[in-house]
Amino acid sequence: MQQTSSAKWLSILALVPFLVLPPAATADGETPKRASEILRSVDDLWRGNSSHAITTMRVKTRHYTRTMRLEGWSKGKEQTLFRVLEPKRERGTVTLKSGNHIYTYLPKTDRKIRLTSGMMMGSWMGSHLTNDDLVKEARLEDDYIARISFEGVRDGQNIIEFTLIPKPEAAVVWGKVILVVLADSSTPLSEQFYDEDMQLVRTFSFTDMKLLAGRMRPAVMRVVPVDKPEEFTEFIYEKLELDIEISDHFFSVSNLKRR
Amino acid sequence: MKLNRLAWRNLWRRKRRTLITAFSIAFGVMLAMTFTGAGDHYYTRMIDAGASMGMGHITIAPIDHNRAPSLKKRLGNVQQLRAEALLRPEVVDAMVRISGQAMFASAHKSIGGMFMAIDPAQERESNNLFIRSIIEGSLFANANAPGIVVGVKLAEKLRLRIGKKVVYTTTDAHGEIVSAIERVSGIFKTGISEVDSSMALLPIARVQKILQYRPDEATLVALMLDDQRHTRATRDTLAALPVYARAEVLSWQESQPDLAGMIALDKSSNYISQLLIALLVAAGILNTMLMSVLERKHEFGVMMAVGMTPGGLFRLVMIESFWLAVVGLMVGIIISTPWYIYMSEVGIDLSAAYGDDMDFGGVLIDPVMKVRLFKESIIAILCGLFALALTSGAYPAWRAGRVPPVDSLKIN
Repeated sequence: MQQTSSAKWLSILALVPFLVLPPAATADGETPKRASEILRSVDDLWRGNSSHAITTMRVKTRHYTRTMRLEGWSKGKEQTLFRVLEPKRERGTVTLKSGNHIYTYLPKTDRKIRLTSGMMMGSWMGSHLTNDDLVKEARLEDDYIARISFEGVRDGQNIIEFTLIPKPEAAVVWGKVILVVLADSSTPLSEQFYDEDMQLVRTFSFTDMKLLAGRMRPAVMRVVPVDKPEEFTEFIYEKLELDIEISDHFFSVSNLKRR
Repeated sequence: MKLNRLAWRNLWRRKRRTLITAFSIAFGVMLAMTFTGAGDHYYTRMIDAGASMGMGHITIAPIDHNRAPSLKKRLGNVQQLRAEALLRPEVVDAMVRISGQAMFASAHKSIGGMFMAIDPAQERESNNLFIRSIIEGSLFANANAPGIVVGVKLAEKLRLRIGKKVVYTTTDAHGEIVSAIERVSGIFKTGISEVDSSMALLPIARVQKILQYRPDEATLVALMLDDQRHTRATRDTLAALPVYARAEVLSWQESQPDLAGMIALDKSSNYISQLLIALLVAAGILNTMLMSVLERKHEFGVMMAVGMTPGGLFRLVMIESFWLAVVGLMVGIIISTPWYIYMSEVGIDLSAAYGDDMDFGGVLIDPVMKVRLFKESIIAILCGLFALALTSGAYPAWRAGRVPPVDSLKIN
């Protein structure tokens, strides 16, 4: 199982921001400043105040393959809720992220559980992402210093490549993160996570451009662990709505049951 | 005492038989000494090793923490709790620590485990198994210095080396999930795979900040005693002190029930084998004495005819048993002493039999079998065997007193 402390999977799941991009808070100099501005514009472009999405998650590992349909809602960066639509056996299972905590609700047993720190390392619904990714996601902007490491044409596409270096005190396991976006539309193409020896550990790739929420956006996001290249977790978006009306109460723990 | 001299002489009428019986008692002494001594040594080693794994012989813990551990439960004013404990003469050392569950993560993996936050100023190799097992790097310099010391298997699984990042995630004083980063400063290898794959040491002052503890708060004070046998008495004394009224004072049996259970189990099987040895020794004495009584039927008949009472005969045989026991114990002490010295100084290396994983109830064991006898064990062995010899002489002595004089005078 992959540990992913800086993934933005929840945002991706709810499909509001494809990326929660870090501003270069402390770095000075021309390049970091510009990098953070571009990144922020990418962020703004993709992030709505709230969202509603329907997505299919496909997980393939050496041991099993599973497919799930999920419906998700989000508001801001701190509140996300989604529930399982299919398979029928797991229908109604709800996961709520509220601030630093994750709660799950299992309709079969009618129980709400707040995940403990020991459970955070667990795989989220059997995928290559962990519960821990949820909690760490919102902290991203405080954790990295970003700079543009490449700008121009690569493989026939006009791209910008960002290198994100974790701040020394940040609770981030990665050595660096490399993010590639299309220069014109700020559409993300890939995101690569490296360990401290600068060895690639896992890759996020964004493909299949499709009209979603009034824009061309990549509809497929795939997570591949580098040491197990035959395995992956894939999110395929069917539907996306941005800036919908939704109340804070919707994301409350007491509301879990009614979902 | 005519009877006494008579008994002594009787004993040496059959030198070979007496000596063989005396040697069987002597071997009983030696075996009992070896078993008990191995136990005394082994359990002490294990209890001390267990104590050096974090909880000490005695643990001062927040109320109910032992039953349901949580980082929310904590002790206040820990330095005072520590200082009060150190006033007791049998408490040789006391360490303030925070121990709890955490998840350790690197870029490659994350693993659930335990952390123990310590103040290097209070720790010593003798009271901390992990510190004395460091094989690479070193402990962080002080309670506020960055660093983490991880188990060798944990390091392997997370692919860590000295200087690499580890993110640990745990719950703080308010139940919130918190994470922080440390760089590996040392790697330890205890040989207990369970511990090597899940344990890490952290600097206590930094952990207090992460957990939102005040600087005088921690989850336990571990006390090391001069002798583990003082555990219960010291625990009871400390528990009665008003300063510990708002804490729980636990013995190692309570804080490490696995170890206590294993030792109790091992002890009872040790007792059973000792009981079997005792039975064999008793059968030997009984056999010898009964033989000597039965073959002296005629003689006893004559003695009774010239005025010896049945009670006198009983006493005579009992005194013979007594002297036999004394001789046996003397021989036992003579042959056991060099053996004991060898076993307590050198011991027998059993490492081939144990293999790599040398833990017992989660505690490291020494692959060299050695013996060490407590004073009370020596007294117990000698008194036990002595009583055994007298008891097994009782039936033959009773038989001797019951010899019908006229019948026994008939010549067969």
